[in-house]
Amino acid sequence: MTLAVAARIARRELRGGLRGFYVFLACLALGVAAIAAVGSVRQSIEGGLKREGAVLLGGDAEMSLTYRYAEPDERAWMEDVATRVSEIVDFRSMVVVERDGVTERGLTQVKGVDGAYPLYGTVELDPPMPLDTALAGDGAVMERVLADRLGLRPGDRFRLGTADYTLSAVLLREPDGAGDGFGLGPRLILRTAALEGSGLLAPGTLYETKYRLALPVGSDMAALETRADARFADKGMRWRDARNGAPGMTRFVDRMGSFLVLVGLAGLAVGGVGVSAAVRAYLDGKTEVIAILKTLGAEGRTILLAYLMQIGTLAGLGIVLGLALGALAPMVAAPFIQAQLPVPVQVSLHPGPLAEAALYGVLTALLFTLWPLARTEEVRAAALFRDASGQVRAWPRPVYMGVTVALAAALIWIAAWFSGVPQLALWAAFGIVAALGLLALAAVGLRRLARRLARARAVRGRTALRLALGAVGGPGGETVSVVLSLGLGLSILAAIGQIDANLRSAIQQELPERAPSYFVVDIQPDQLDGFLARLTGDPGVSKVETAPMLRGVITRINDRPAKEVAGDHWVIRGDRGVTYAATPPEGTIVNAGAWWPADYDGPPVMSFADEEAGEIGLKLGDAVTVNILGRDITATVTSFREVDFSTAGIGFVVTMNPAALMGAPHTHIATVYAEPEAEAAILRDLAEAYPNITAIRVRDAVDRVAEVLSSLAAAIAYGASATLVTGVIVLIGAAAAGERTRVFESAVLKTVGAVRGQVLAYFALRSAMLGAAAGTVAIVAGGVAGWAVMEFVMMGGYEFEPVSALAIVLGGAAATLLAGLAFAWRPLAARPARVLRARE
Amino acid sequence: MADSILSLADVTLTLAGNAGPVEILHGITLDVHRGETLGLVGPSGSGKSSLLMLMGGLERATSGRVTALGHDLTAMNEDQLARFRRQHMGVVFQSFHLIPTMTALENVATPLELAGHRDAFDRAAEELRAVGLGPRMDHYPSQMSGGEQQRVALARAAAPRPHVLLADEPTGNLDGANGAAIMDLLFGLRDRHGATLVLVTHAPDLAARCDRVVRLADGRIASDELRRAAE
Repeated sequence: MTLAVAARIARRELRGGLRGFYVFLACLALGVAAIAAVGSVRQSIEGGLKREGAVLLGGDAEMSLTYRYAEPDERAWMEDVATRVSEIVDFRSMVVVERDGVTERGLTQVKGVDGAYPLYGTVELDPPMPLDTALAGDGAVMERVLADRLGLRPGDRFRLGTADYTLSAVLLREPDGAGDGFGLGPRLILRTAALEGSGLLAPGTLYETKYRLALPVGSDMAALETRADARFADKGMRWRDARNGAPGMTRFVDRMGSFLVLVGLAGLAVGGVGVSAAVRAYLDGKTEVIAILKTLGAEGRTILLAYLMQIGTLAGLGIVLGLALGALAPMVAAPFIQAQLPVPVQVSLHPGPLAEAALYGVLTALLFTLWPLARTEEVRAAALFRDASGQVRAWPRPVYMGVTVALAAALIWIAAWFSGVPQLALWAAFGIVAALGLLALAAVGLRRLARRLARARAVRGRTALRLALGAVGGPGGETVSVVLSLGLGLSILAAIGQIDANLRSAIQQELPERAPSYFVVDIQPDQLDGFLARLTGDPGVSKVETAPMLRGVITRINDRPAKEVAGDHWVIRGDRGVTYAATPPEGTIVNAGAWWPADYDGPPVMSFADEEAGEIGLKLGDAVTVNILGRDITATVTSFREVDFSTAGIGFVVTMNPAALMGAPHTHIATVYAEPEAEAAILRDLAEAYPNITAIRVRDAVDRVAEVLSSLAAAIAYGASATLVTGVIVLIGAAAAGERTRVFESAVLKTVGAVRGQVLAYFALRSAMLGAAAGTVAIVAGGVAGWAVMEFVMMGGYEFEPVSALAIVLGGAAATLLAGLAFAWRPLAARPARVLRARE
Repeated sequence: MADSILSLADVTLTLAGNAGPVEILHGITLDVHRGETLGLVGPSGSGKSSLLMLMGGLERATSGRVTALGHDLTAMNEDQLARFRRQHMGVVFQSFHLIPTMTALENVATPLELAGHRDAFDRAAEELRAVGLGPRMDHYPSQMSGGEQQRVALARAAAPRPHVLLADEPTGNLDGANGAAIMDLLFGLRDRHGATLVLVTHAPDLAARCDRVVRLADGRIASDELRRAAE
């Protein structure tokens, strides 16, 4: 009965249309749309990755080796299981171009391919031509960025090691580019056979071979992986297959998607504040109707249900709008999204992310409308006869507070579950709740301070200022909703600004101060003396460090598969640098155990990086098996030592006694610390004397990492901008909702003698105060969040970054000011008599 | 006879309505004399309040001339009118029209501040005490009864010592006792400050307290009755 009556009342009330609900709808729709869009794009990319797994990987499966080609028996196994096999060799080198007596060098990631490459997909070239044609003879193709840097055009010659090649075409797209992961240099492709005579693949040189397999349709990948692992894992062979063709990319998209959904949730929280304010304003306007209904005998429950149905209907509309927007936006933006990604993306409708977004929308709408709705029960019939708004208590009944807490908990739990990164989601939720709490406190504090200041003797006579303070501190008004909504949006931007600036500074400023100028790889043992002779006499060189370098895979720990012991720790993922030393290198700090005697000649022993050993649970005396060039070397851990990987100096997880490794073919790596002015001459002399070596300029590598970080920051900023747009909508909504009040205030002020300039100054000051307050709290909240992320997630130092912080405060004040002024014209133009008589 | 403080010459007022222009006032010519208490009476919709708003410069005449203290209000812009009101006029409305975000004291001090009085708050406090609201100065309008709110509105109108007090049915929203108290206060303020009072009312007993009663009907002056000369 109650339900039916409530439904009838709700239906009649809804005849009034959507007036007053535009902000409500916009906030909810935008929040839901942002989450739905992020989810849809993520699903589309993941779909693309899955569908194109084989193309991205370069084959149905890939078996890779470090430092060596496959042995005949390994190759035979591959030929046996696959219909076709393609062999790739991948390494870093330097492209050298001589023009008019000037030599230019560029770091590159070389891919030597055979005639079978690519097994799947096509290589796109400019000018368009078949890859076979481009790579015929000494032909090679390279990415445009490298060709442009070196001023090369198709037909030009360049050198790699000691051999010369012809650039046939510019490489536009390699089908397996995304699967190759992050490379420091742009890609160059040539025939492996053409590398003969280049001196680049000498024994000990750092290179990787990849064998791509085209498997018969219907092959059981999992079974094949097990077979391959059982047979070759101990020899350092690594298996990947098309089930996850680009694992790095998949991981990245997954994390990025989760993170953006969390940012989207923050947007929904901002929108929630707007939703709450809109419902509150609507219900305030309904006080008289509610009082009449009560006079006529309606119970509180009936009234609550009636308005819950109304708001529910509107929330449903908002969510549907959001879902439509969230589903359509990625389709419209598909060409742009595609252009940003090395993966073919097919944007289409994905019900999963839409359902997730809808669920968030429903929970948020309920969470933020329950309190204002609960207040309808508190309205008394007496409100008809006197202004009873002051008599409604601020806190709803305990049952509603309980439901609110339960809704918030459900929302957080679902976000943690869906995101796949529960810890991050919980921290983000904690951050949002803490920021909302801080902002609510700030809003209350601001009101009290403003109220106090409005009565201070100092502001007497400064009418506009006192009026503004009075309005900010007075009852009702938009102080709380503006500070909450804009503040939360700005807090998120401030946090991103602080993290971004700190990461940039960590990478671009702090690191190079301690970092070497060059990192040199592939120095053959017989080149080491000459290499050192060139550098030690150079006054521009302050320090040179060298170390023997081999690469190996940690395959077993105490005779158990390493994965079983250490899980997915990065130390056992893929191959690691391994070195040997008779005595502890300069500056070595041994934290536990003891280094072997300089003349030690017994069974292999090992010193392991202390922190990483702790993470994988290694103890002194444990036996660690490392596969180097297909040979297992099992060494006993005799010491743990401090290794700092953040200085870009030489750092090895594993160091062994010389006798254990010296027999294996290997090269040396070096770090060169030099004055910037001396760098060019060093590079020239070394590259001329030893064409096979590769010198990586640390500054370039840092720039490359910074580039990747920039695109990450840009993606996050796009996500955060949805939050800010919601914040601005709430702000505009608050300004629009306040327009009626402003018209009235302006009329009264004019009646008692205020000129328009004074009224405008009052409006402007009031808006700017609210914006500045929101911005100031945002800096505190953003700073704390930035500190927490830098300290606990990035494990780095934190330094407050004032420029973006100042921009946030000014931006906040300016946005509120603009929104306030945009709605000031009607109040300023209104004739007092009309306004005041209309309210008689 | 005292000299004219407010003068309306052939004033008309036409407002835009949903069904086209509505003529509110037709050719009103009226002089209000200094120190006079003028009651504007008439049935609802006769144009009483509109006439009062024209006198206060709160509404613009469609044609004709409105002069106050020798100044042509019809020639002034919005800001000039506001400055004129802050120096010379106080207005009281039926619905009080206090600013809800301001305390009683702040509401009363505002016109004094706007007029540049350094002692705005002291004078506002004094005025509130005079209307019996000394203990409630720091209350917001929502915390006060209708009678109290109207007393604040009276104090606000009287605080700048205006030459003219305009009151639009000041007791219309109050019960009998409160209404009577407000009228006593209003006439008391007028007596104390020697202001000219123009009062729109439906109540015959209030009209009876006026020196002169002008009756409006259909936007025209139907009668102009002098009860007693202004002192």
